[in-house]
Amino acid sequence: MFGYAGKILFIDLTSRVVRTEPTEKYAADFLGGRGIATKIAYDLIPAEADAFDPENALVMMTGPLTGAAPSSSRIDVVSLSPVTNLLGGSSAGGDFGAVLKFAGYDGIVITGKAEKPTGIRIIDDEVTFHDAEHCWEYDVYDTVDCIKRLGREDVQVACIGKAGANLVKTAGISFSKRNLAARGGLGAVMGSKNLKAIAVAGTKGIKVRDTKRLMETNLEIERRMLESPSFKKYESWHANISLSLLKARRPYFGDYEEEFWEEAEEAAKNAKRFFEEMAKVRPNSCFACPLRCWAWVEYKGEEAPMVACQGTFPAIIFILKIKDPELAWKVYLRLQKEGLDIMSTAAVIAYASRVGLVRLGSGEILKLIDEIVNREGPGNVLAEGVKKASEHFGVPAVYVKGGMESWSSDVRPFRGVSLAGAVSESGSISRAIHGFPESSYYTKPEKAKKVAKEIVGDESAAEPSSYRGKAKLVAYFEDEHIIADSLGVCDTPMLSIPLELWAEALSAATGMEFTPEKLHFYAGKIRTLERMFNVRRGVDREKDTLSERLFRSVIRSGPWAGVGIDREKFEEMKLEYYGLRGWDENGIPTEETLERYGLEW
Amino acid sequence: MPYLIVHEEGCIGCHTCEMVCSLSHEGVINPDLSRIHVLGYKGEKFPVMCLQCEDAPCELVCPMEAIHMQNGVRMVDDEKCIRCKMCTLVCPVGGVLYDYINNKMIRCDLCGGDPQCAKYCPMNVIEVVQDEKVPEARKRGVRVLYGEAD
Repeated sequence: MFGYAGKILFIDLTSRVVRTEPTEKYAADFLGGRGIATKIAYDLIPAEADAFDPENALVMMTGPLTGAAPSSSRIDVVSLSPVTNLLGGSSAGGDFGAVLKFAGYDGIVITGKAEKPTGIRIIDDEVTFHDAEHCWEYDVYDTVDCIKRLGREDVQVACIGKAGANLVKTAGISFSKRNLAARGGLGAVMGSKNLKAIAVAGTKGIKVRDTKRLMETNLEIERRMLESPSFKKYESWHANISLSLLKARRPYFGDYEEEFWEEAEEAAKNAKRFFEEMAKVRPNSCFACPLRCWAWVEYKGEEAPMVACQGTFPAIIFILKIKDPELAWKVYLRLQKEGLDIMSTAAVIAYASRVGLVRLGSGEILKLIDEIVNREGPGNVLAEGVKKASEHFGVPAVYVKGGMESWSSDVRPFRGVSLAGAVSESGSISRAIHGFPESSYYTKPEKAKKVAKEIVGDESAAEPSSYRGKAKLVAYFEDEHIIADSLGVCDTPMLSIPLELWAEALSAATGMEFTPEKLHFYAGKIRTLERMFNVRRGVDREKDTLSERLFRSVIRSGPWAGVGIDREKFEEMKLEYYGLRGWDENGIPTEETLERYGLEW
Repeated sequence: MPYLIVHEEGCIGCHTCEMVCSLSHEGVINPDLSRIHVLGYKGEKFPVMCLQCEDAPCELVCPMEAIHMQNGVRMVDDEKCIRCKMCTLVCPVGGVLYDYINNKMIRCDLCGGDPQCAKYCPMNVIEVVQDEKVPEARKRGVRVLYGEAD
């Protein structure tokens, strides 16, 4: 097979049986990455299984372009999420995906549950199990160092920290020390399987169909990236992202407070000063990517890699209301080292402040993080996520679909965000509408309007608080994200480079011919399969919703004063969205739709 | 033949050079078959490849005298080479590599005058300079490394 590595590795931890299946079996129907992972999850995970049951499968899949085109280093992780008890998914960059393909595998499927803490090492055809008892409680950094000392320095590692081992539901899977498949509590799934780490090294390489055509397309993609005006800005992204999010009017403060945090600008300026003057920042990139969106940040002898684009650092300063950048840095280090999803954990801590467990903006936060990681005292409840915590404390909380903590954007004024939060399968909005026009309406209005005009034919669809055209925009952006995740391309460049070029690179690498229309067809198919997975678990129109508190909350001050969500208009958006997807008014895919995509229950 | 100069402070460790090098030489993407390698620790990264040294240790150590300078590029004569890999041991920068798939020694051949790594490097870390612009000392890369430049 060209473009693909050709095999998918199936590992059953209960019986320690290792086998492979040809990727060919799935590739023509589900493309790769997120598509194949969803198909395998649909086939393997029973409808009545619980996320921590041995029957749950953890599927990591790369796409046909992973390691073969610029900015294509992604690996997609899909499993039953313990947070929502629905399909959970998250993707990560770094080098792991590419190296897994060099070892000869398009993906790894983990089922069963190991008897004792275990690590898996994959060196080409050699798959070995290792005792991980001694490092079970290590944080991510120590785990990676420990595994590298096992014999090979050049392995790439996917692992969980102590939080994942303790089944904390905001734990993600760390890829080496930096990239995180953060959302959906997938780290806890790995912990429930008694699997501490997977290490991979490979020497086989990826065969491609048409070398010359691929190299020419890659050069063209790269040229467009380098020529785009935003390319230069990536270098100073860490310093500027907080201020630019604030300018885009996106952050929310504390536990979805209704008052604007007056000191937000000061906090963002402090963060800018931190990255520009106090810390040493060295830009870096994932495999084959020119964008350098993450950097090694060093401050007072401690260092950590930091990815700018998802806004993890701004999440800490805005949600936890931290003005002192040194404290924000300490919080970041703590969360990153434990492999925790920063957005979700910050939301959990903000909720804890509402019930009086912690004071936001103070050093108490660090202690609470330790309690969550170790599941001590109130941390034991908070480790279950905001929805469970709110049921325990009886104080309503804010969350999106199924109990997932919300994204970095305030849900209330952004209609697209609220719709995506309700209908997206994993509740993970970053997997659906990252780069959405309304997100940049106040920073790049011209571009936002142009995109909205192109997709729905109406400029006003770019306005955040307008309900018009949002369903179509969300469906379109979801498709683009599904294509990106299925090919193994990163979202950010995927959206700014024409889809024709990616289709061309894919055709050159695999030898099969693809067009943008064909890719959008695949996206619709994969989206419907994701829906089927959840419908099988009881999701319908009623379950496609946000937490009750969000509908009652009205912002009182700041740029969004007076804004809230109108429930009726929200329901209308949902109906419009179902129609576009070919689902009935209850959100169930119709027979015609299933037939069109060739899917079966 | 041109020379390749590395401006290591700009490298972002994206390994694009390894990708295009193995793709253009072998038609597969495999960093192990790349003639250029990104070395580094944490944030500090930079690519290394054969420096085309004068008085090259690889040439001096070769028991079969299989390594010679041809048109400004150091080449290995596959017929003479017995794959003892002594050259990989003495090269101070790791510029000589063993291709375990095709069982031969591989090294940077400057792509016949149009180095692909320099063309694809997004940060312009790898620069192609013409022969006459390269200072004498640079050509004796190894001697400079050991502080023996005259």
